[in-house]
Amino acid sequence: MARGDDGQSERGAQARRGRGPRPEPWLALALLLLCVGGVRAADPETCLVCHQFRGLSRFDAERAEVRLLFVQPEYTRARLGPHGRLACTGCHARAAVSVIPHEPVVPVDCTQACHLVNPTGLERRFNHGNVAAMLQDSAHPWSKLSELKFARGALLDPGQSLCLYCHDEPVFRDPTRAIPVLRTLGARVFDRCEVCHADVVPVDIEYYVRHIASRLQPARPTLELAQVCAVCHSDAQVRATHDLPDAVASYVRSFHGKAALLGDQTTANCLSCHVGAGQNAHQMFGHRDPRSSVYPSRVASACRSETCHPGANPRFAAAAVHLDLPISRGTWEFALAAAFILLTIATFGPSAIIVLLELGHILIERHHHRRQEVEQLARAVLQHPEGRRRLVRFTPSQRVQHWVLVVLFSVLALTGFPMKFADRAWAATVIGWFGGLHVARTVHHWVGLGLIVGLLVHLTYVAWTAFGRRPGGQPGGRRRGLIATITALPMWMDWRDGLKALQLLAYLAFLRRDPPTFGRFSAKDKFEYIGVFWGTVVLGLTGLLLWGASFSSHFLSGRWTNLALIAHTYEAFLAIIHVGILHIVNVILSPNVFPLSPATLTGQTPLAELVEGHSELVVQVAGELGMVGPGAATEAGHA
Amino acid sequence: MPESTAQPRPRRALALSGAVVFSIMRRAYAAVLIVVIVWLTFLAVRYLFRSLIRPIAAPPQVMQLPTRLGEEVLRERREQWAALEATENARSPLAHYHRFEGWIEPDRFNDCTRSGCHLALPHARRKEVRAFLNMHATSVHCSVCHIQSADTPLPVAWYSLANGKPCGPPAGLRAYEFVTGAEERQRLAHPTGADQARLAALLREAAEAADGAPALRDLAARVAAVRVESEAFQELVGTVRTTLPEYFRGEYGAKLALYDPQTKKPVLGFPGTAAAVKEWLERGSTLNPTDRAALLVRVHPLKREQALHCSDCHRQAGGLVDFAHLGYPEARRDALFRPAIFQMIEHISSGQPMHLPEFTTP
Repeated sequence: MARGDDGQSERGAQARRGRGPRPEPWLALALLLLCVGGVRAADPETCLVCHQFRGLSRFDAERAEVRLLFVQPEYTRARLGPHGRLACTGCHARAAVSVIPHEPVVPVDCTQACHLVNPTGLERRFNHGNVAAMLQDSAHPWSKLSELKFARGALLDPGQSLCLYCHDEPVFRDPTRAIPVLRTLGARVFDRCEVCHADVVPVDIEYYVRHIASRLQPARPTLELAQVCAVCHSDAQVRATHDLPDAVASYVRSFHGKAALLGDQTTANCLSCHVGAGQNAHQMFGHRDPRSSVYPSRVASACRSETCHPGANPRFAAAAVHLDLPISRGTWEFALAAAFILLTIATFGPSAIIVLLELGHILIERHHHRRQEVEQLARAVLQHPEGRRRLVRFTPSQRVQHWVLVVLFSVLALTGFPMKFADRAWAATVIGWFGGLHVARTVHHWVGLGLIVGLLVHLTYVAWTAFGRRPGGQPGGRRRGLIATITALPMWMDWRDGLKALQLLAYLAFLRRDPPTFGRFSAKDKFEYIGVFWGTVVLGLTGLLLWGASFSSHFLSGRWTNLALIAHTYEAFLAIIHVGILHIVNVILSPNVFPLSPATLTGQTPLAELVEGHSELVVQVAGELGMVGPGAATEAGHA
Repeated sequence: MPESTAQPRPRRALALSGAVVFSIMRRAYAAVLIVVIVWLTFLAVRYLFRSLIRPIAAPPQVMQLPTRLGEEVLRERREQWAALEATENARSPLAHYHRFEGWIEPDRFNDCTRSGCHLALPHARRKEVRAFLNMHATSVHCSVCHIQSADTPLPVAWYSLANGKPCGPPAGLRAYEFVTGAEERQRLAHPTGADQARLAALLREAAEAADGAPALRDLAARVAAVRVESEAFQELVGTVRTTLPEYFRGEYGAKLALYDPQTKKPVLGFPGTAAAVKEWLERGSTLNPTDRAALLVRVHPLKREQALHCSDCHRQAGGLVDFAHLGYPEARRDALFRPAIFQMIEHISSGQPMHLPEFTTP
């Protein structure tokens, strides 16, 4: 390659460029460039001839980092973003990149002027200087950005543009989200435009539409935006230095944030609230700045914007988007959450202990001394032509109601639980089964309404059967009073059930020789039944309040939305762990009933379950059939 | 007399052992249930208390933003390292402005890298050429340039990155041959449904190999969608001709390696060096220069004194690689034999900077 030393050539080169020796291979490169015309059209400086290769990289052992020199060629070729129209030297110093190997990288100044070429070939100078001025006046001035220290170490190289904290290579968003007709018409949508805009009034329509369609949507998907803000607002050191709460964390755990985690692109993102009308993301102000959209006197307007909650009352804004319970001690929200946690432990705890001890008894094969006797009696009753029918614990109507409840509960759990634990990987999968959050949420609302209706139907059924039986209910023919009718319901739980539950616990804890006996419904059955009542009322009321949050804001403060959300979510959790762990074990997984107690299918209770849990019923039926004397039932009842 | 006593002895023993087994299984099952319930209860209660006591932290979906281009970042695919499958365009590490939505397919069968001795981007010394050499590492195994072979042309063959076994030319090249080869051009003048299906299949396969290349996938879908006798199909074939070369970027789903005709396998490392490699990894850094050099000779027993240069392969006549034999279509071979690129590389390799001509600027 000594030919490059030719003096004349070198002088010519120096004269033209005013610097450095100019070797002959440029002729070869010229040939190359002529050969790659297709690339050159989109990449006038032919940088992509080399930089289009993903492997054009090296590992920098000193910094333990990959120096990735790859530039996605499709970005330029297909102009995937606004910077796809720029030449590389629009940002990179020409002196550094016009020689191979390139000179050390000169940091890019995002406010420098660049050239945009329009379809007529005219160049326009452009720069982001106005953005710099906006930022300087905002909550994110250069002085603050340049002093940021991160717990994870420096995130940018020295001298790199501070814009990179928030921005990377901008990409147009999918235009069909904003203009759905593009999906069906494809490129044909431009045919009419091209009549004039191809030549007469040259405009790159396709680029223009993609640009506008992208701008009609948020700059980034909701979650990606949270990611951008989290760079600083969730960094421990940045928060400590600037005394900031972890606003991104509390947002992501909020109603909106969870929707974002589950892929909802229409839910409120950080900018929805923190950028006011007529402002842009570079004009965010601290919440104490009167110009800020979240300044106390303006925040209601942010919530009640036309796109968010247009019909809401101003007091709707009292709902906390950034509620973080552990740092909200002393508030009603904290107290309510604490109360629900205590309720959960007080109700789930004893039930769990009983189930565990029962399994423990199976493990050690402990049986009470009357078991064999009751079992023989139960077998005898079951063999009696009338016995099996009389041992049916649930009527066909009750079984249908139970299975309707099973379906409603399961759908509510499948659609609701992922919303509570939206940050878990499985949550998005489950929501995906429903076709996305919007569908899952709609299903949740209407099935929840179904549950409320179901409760009302059941109450009607209870009233019908209870009051319908009243005339014949008393041997003397006297009608029972209302209270007496209610307390006579088979699922009514009184002090005797409480006492039996304690006796059961004592038996299971080896403090009694024999367990108490139960009739058609055990204390566990009654407790679960009451739990369903309580849960449906709490979940129904709070669910309705949340569903119509904008409407309810005309009667209740936004704080009630917080409280309703807390009650709804903690009560749902209680219901799910009770049913998902204990009830499922009791009726499906327990060795006494596995693989499924048919009691709610055919009405027949398995023998082991009859013996262990409903011996009183067995003795009662045996007595009715004349198989034992009346004393036996009493004896079994006091065993 | 109870019924059981009337049973014959072997039957009774069988029933008894069955009852014992059933009892053991029932008790084991109960024990498992106890463990599961305790565990689930623990998780539930822990969650409840944490929700009230521990301040909220941002979840991984938000916090797992890659902050630097460490090697481990690049080993993972985009959606994994960004942990954000829900987003349209996951961010690159902050200090890296340009987007990269994928990464070179790791070669799990390259002994040089999987041994732990060399990185997937092995060339790091000479600033002038290291990136260009690493660029070749995506489609050419180290053996081609670094392992001795007396044959001319070199016994080189494709091997699949999926299983490390010899394979035919990659789909991208076959598709290019299909639309640029002289015979094929004639056939495509009157294409059949079979031609259309084959072209679409090749394009799909090529897209898959090129990290899913959406434009290629789209092209494949369009080729499959139009009527084969239509003008639109001919237009699409023309588009395929011009578009495919944009995807010859070393992402073929296959790589070239020296081929051992005796074993009928690609040479993916120095044979019989496992012990030496192990020794090198264990104590290579503690050895004195002489022992170190001696051990390195044992690690690389067939290493070329001088690795191949660009012009050894990238030349029309007398090149060490028979590109035609490897399935490169004529049009692609012409591109590889253009002197401009390798002359430029060899020029800068000699230590002289290469100034881009002024007319390339806009």
